Amino acid sequence: MTISTRLTTPLRVDPTALAPEVGFFRYGVVGGKVLLTNEGGEFHFLEQDRFDTFLRGKIDGEERVELERKGFFKTGLDIDRMAGRIRRKKSFLGGGPHLHIVVTTLRCNHACKYCHASRTDMDRVDTDMSLATAREVVEFAFGTPSRVLNFEFQGGEPTANFAALKFVVEHALEKNRYEDRELLFSLVTNLTLMDDEKMNFLVDKGVMVCTSLDGPEDLHNKNRGWIGKGSSYQTVSGWMEKFNQAWIAKGLDPNLFHVDALMTCTRDSLSRGREIVDEYVKRGIKSIHLRPLNPFGFAVNTWKQIGYTMEEFLAFYQDTLDYILELNQQGIFIQERQAAMFLTKMLTPDDPNYTDCRSPAGSGSAQLAYNFDGSIYTCDEGRMVAHMGNDFFKLGHVTGTAWNDIAKHPTVRAIAVASIQEALPACVDCVYKPTCGIQPLHNYMFDGDLFGQRPRSRKCQEFFGEQADLYRRLAEDTDGRVEKIFRRWTIQRSRPGTIPYPTEGSA
Amino acid sequence: MSDVNGLTTDLGERRARFEVDESIYALDTIQGAAYLFLDRCYVFLDRPADRRVAVLLKAKGDADEATLEALAGEFANELLNQALRKAVGASNAKIREFILAKAFFSVDAPSSIDKLLAELDAEEMEPLEIPVPWEKSDG
Repeated sequence: MTISTRLTTPLRVDPTALAPEVGFFRYGVVGGKVLLTNEGGEFHFLEQDRFDTFLRGKIDGEERVELERKGFFKTGLDIDRMAGRIRRKKSFLGGGPHLHIVVTTLRCNHACKYCHASRTDMDRVDTDMSLATAREVVEFAFGTPSRVLNFEFQGGEPTANFAALKFVVEHALEKNRYEDRELLFSLVTNLTLMDDEKMNFLVDKGVMVCTSLDGPEDLHNKNRGWIGKGSSYQTVSGWMEKFNQAWIAKGLDPNLFHVDALMTCTRDSLSRGREIVDEYVKRGIKSIHLRPLNPFGFAVNTWKQIGYTMEEFLAFYQDTLDYILELNQQGIFIQERQAAMFLTKMLTPDDPNYTDCRSPAGSGSAQLAYNFDGSIYTCDEGRMVAHMGNDFFKLGHVTGTAWNDIAKHPTVRAIAVASIQEALPACVDCVYKPTCGIQPLHNYMFDGDLFGQRPRSRKCQEFFGEQADLYRRLAEDTDGRVEKIFRRWTIQRSRPGTIPYPTEGSA
Repeated sequence: MSDVNGLTTDLGERRARFEVDESIYALDTIQGAAYLFLDRCYVFLDRPADRRVAVLLKAKGDADEATLEALAGEFANELLNQALRKAVGASNAKIREFILAKAFFSVDAPSSIDKLLAELDAEEMEPLEIPVPWEKSDG
């Protein structure tokens, strides 16, 4: 997979032919057509033999009217409308951190092959967050300006220190009686330390639960080594069912209230996409996130065994998406979460504010991660880098650091600068620029600097390939059936505690 | 030495070298094209003469003559794309600055923006029958 060959088009391209009335556009060839995109989030497919006519400003008729309405010509350009669309697409700017990742402990009873969260053995209670620190975390989060506060519990296995989790939830709810923020709680857990008392607390307080489910039993258990007796899969699926029944017993809509799950794709998953989707459908899960493996953490050592190229992942992604669309056409609703995130950017006036795919990136400005000891990091991956001995992404501590210190922190500013697409070679010209985003931390991990080089970036290849696939499906969608399904995927029905686009942490 | 469609390329062991006329392609256009090839080959730019830029592409692994010739050809195509992008950017620079200033620094009356956003909402939502949950509709 290389972005240069994708950008090199077989088009007739005559730079000297550009007519002055042609507006700003980016372009590429997708699905046999020329895809035009612009800053307002508009896109248009041109037949290839029309591209030269477009450049010369000679397109007329209905297509001319449509191109003018979308802002691809200066003639007829509604500047107020274009400015409004851009403002809406970037409305996340200045919102402050809405995602607050709380690491209640580093202890974990799993040793997953691909784990990129720092973890310790179960006897390391010294890595538990104290209640005093938990209180300071809540106080700090409420000191940030975001209208929405989403406390996302991660680890380790966060339920191994349930007392801290419970304290954060109760203290935040109490504090919110006076603060009146939109408060959300989500727990990313492997479910294997769950019991009835914990479950009842979580259901009662509206904490949504997200677990890891890598697919059918043999695949799940192979990927997710459990330091315990029995089958991780059986335990996870059993608790998923119990939670789902508990929400139904409370009279809640099971289409909205159910355990969400994340899957991580290993080499063993590549040939089993359809089985994995079937497993999710069987469990009543409406959304699956086909996540590639990151060569971080444990995966660095196991890469030869479980890793793969980005071309292999994208082939898996496309084949599995074919199947998901087949199911949707049969009336079985399940969405692919990464696709839904991109489609929201492509097909609606909004941006989903997914902190890992924004420009500028959300690390430190839209999300913060609190380690068990109260240290504040830009994001969960930043905490992991610290665990490897590099404190570059540490921003301060819940005691002694103010929100203003974080907002002005050199690392936060550097991340913002390194993720402004308009200033990055390749991104600035990329046809997918309006719907894409940057992850400077990935660049830092692979290239040793925040800016990195797009053609060599695994994350760039992933985002580029996924968006190319989605636009191709739209280009080839002659009867509109695929677009109809895609538009449904962009509808987010509100559910207390939902994390529409969870971070990449493992459960 | 290879000459395909006027692109004269000096092919050596794992490397292709050709020259670009800077009166046709500006240096930043050449650099923009070169950047996109970083994952595929090592790129070296040189100036053998006034207004001439030499491009040396060195394969990172084994590469036969056909592969090297194709690499040079793709680079030449990318020069055209980069030149067009530059022309589009230059032609629209002022209006883009104006639109961005309006988007982020204007103080339009809120009512007009609210109206705009309402229009956008209506545009996206009407065909979706959004009040009807998906599971109760036809799909």
